[in-house]
Amino acid sequence: MQLKKRQSPTFQKIGAPLAAATCALLGQGTSNEVRAQELQPWDIDTSLLIYSEDNNRVQDISLNGLARKELREDSYLNLTLAIDTLTGASPSGAVPSTVVQTFTRPSGDGQYVIGAGQEPLDDTFQDTRTALSANWEWPVTRLALLSVGASLSDEFDYTHTGLNAKLARDFNNRNTTLSFGAALANDTVSPVGGSPVPLAAMLEVGNDANKRGDQSKDVVDFLVGVTQVINRHTLVQLNYSLSQSDGYLTDPYKILSVVDPVTGNPVPGPAGSGLYRYLYESRPETRDKQSLFGLVKRDFDGNVLEASYRYMTDDWGVDSHTFDVHYRWNFDGGKYFQPHVRFYQQTAADFYERVLFNGAPVPTFATADYRLGEFDGLTLGVKYGQETSSGEWSARVEWYTQTSTVDSTALVGSLNTLDLYPDMNALIAQFTYKFGGR
Amino acid sequence: MSSPIVRLCLVGSVLAVLAGCAGVEPWDRDVLARPDMQIVSDPLEAAVDDHIYFSKEASSGGQGFGGGGCGCN
Repeated sequence: MQLKKRQSPTFQKIGAPLAAATCALLGQGTSNEVRAQELQPWDIDTSLLIYSEDNNRVQDISLNGLARKELREDSYLNLTLAIDTLTGASPSGAVPSTVVQTFTRPSGDGQYVIGAGQEPLDDTFQDTRTALSANWEWPVTRLALLSVGASLSDEFDYTHTGLNAKLARDFNNRNTTLSFGAALANDTVSPVGGSPVPLAAMLEVGNDANKRGDQSKDVVDFLVGVTQVINRHTLVQLNYSLSQSDGYLTDPYKILSVVDPVTGNPVPGPAGSGLYRYLYESRPETRDKQSLFGLVKRDFDGNVLEASYRYMTDDWGVDSHTFDVHYRWNFDGGKYFQPHVRFYQQTAADFYERVLFNGAPVPTFATADYRLGEFDGLTLGVKYGQETSSGEWSARVEWYTQTSTVDSTALVGSLNTLDLYPDMNALIAQFTYKFGGR
Repeated sequence: MSSPIVRLCLVGSVLAVLAGCAGVEPWDRDVLARPDMQIVSDPLEAAVDDHIYFSKEASSGGQGFGGGGCGCN
């Protein structure tokens, strides 16, 4: 919806037609100089993000940039760049134990040892990710805007390529906008040390008999949405989206512990490995996700409330609810203050198992990845911003926590004394500076 | 969630209701034209948040495409 550009009561937008009309009356063509003056120069957004989980878990320092340029009237080029530097440790999926546990690193060329009572974290987690995208939008008719784009990202063990297109058509005196979009992606994962055979047992250092080569997946997204002006102060948006993934959807670095169903202690692994028994996880090769998203944006005497809700469901058994509220207080001098609350809740995937029991049939699919378990998430944050002569700077700080739901069937024997479902707490800090011809 | 047909009817009903909204004339859009009243008023913040929550939760997308392009999930 081109509210800002099309309905802004400025003389800028009528400048080009006026110049054209004037030139036509004078028997001259529109001069290039006049055209050049009407096009907006580059708008640049830059930001530094620090994401930090407690207990030496994932740390991310991210540099992000967005550049937007008007190529022709109402035709824009958008370019984005993101560079992430990731370090820290990530939960492997194995459960803590009352005994010391030794694991083979994913690379297969070393081991790491987790003390009794400690959460098994794989401390080799580090990567640099570079992501680029380009998007071009232009009016195909007086009331329809088409945008097409491409995206590319690269990590040490992961490559993504994607294409997307979206058509937005205004109706009802530009009070209603219908949008249709589609996106295609192809991702390749090249796990360090190879991709494990699903549900194969972890082997000793140097033994790669259970590892395979690169894997890939395709993702197709569809989106249909409507944006509606309710009155002079209120907008609403409603979207339905469908996402279908096909291919390798397993996390090659996640494992499950196999424990004694009575004592809860780890059981011996493959003969000669010197390890306890850990199985690499296994997920289905297809996943269909559907989302319904609603948003309300309302002005209250110059301040802005933004509230949204998303319901998501997929064929893995995950259902989620997300509530998100921002309230922006605008003050004199271009200053603003904006608190933020986000509440998230999801059910577990059907094949989520915190632990596998020795002697029981091994399921076709199983994961102990906490992100596919049942948990609640809460985010609380504040943001302060200040307009400048050429743009704006802002800073925000947020606190994000996840609290998992305990499945008592996993709490057998010694596991009763251990924390199988630790909370995850993260600090999010972002500094943004915007400048250009806006 | 119920069948696709029910969902389609639901979306259709909402569209019908929205089409009945009186709307706002172009000269009354000063408030709606403000940058802080745009649907996505801070694209970089939205992109960063999408990336964080995509990495840490089983859900993604909704307002835009489902995200992805990351080995983090």
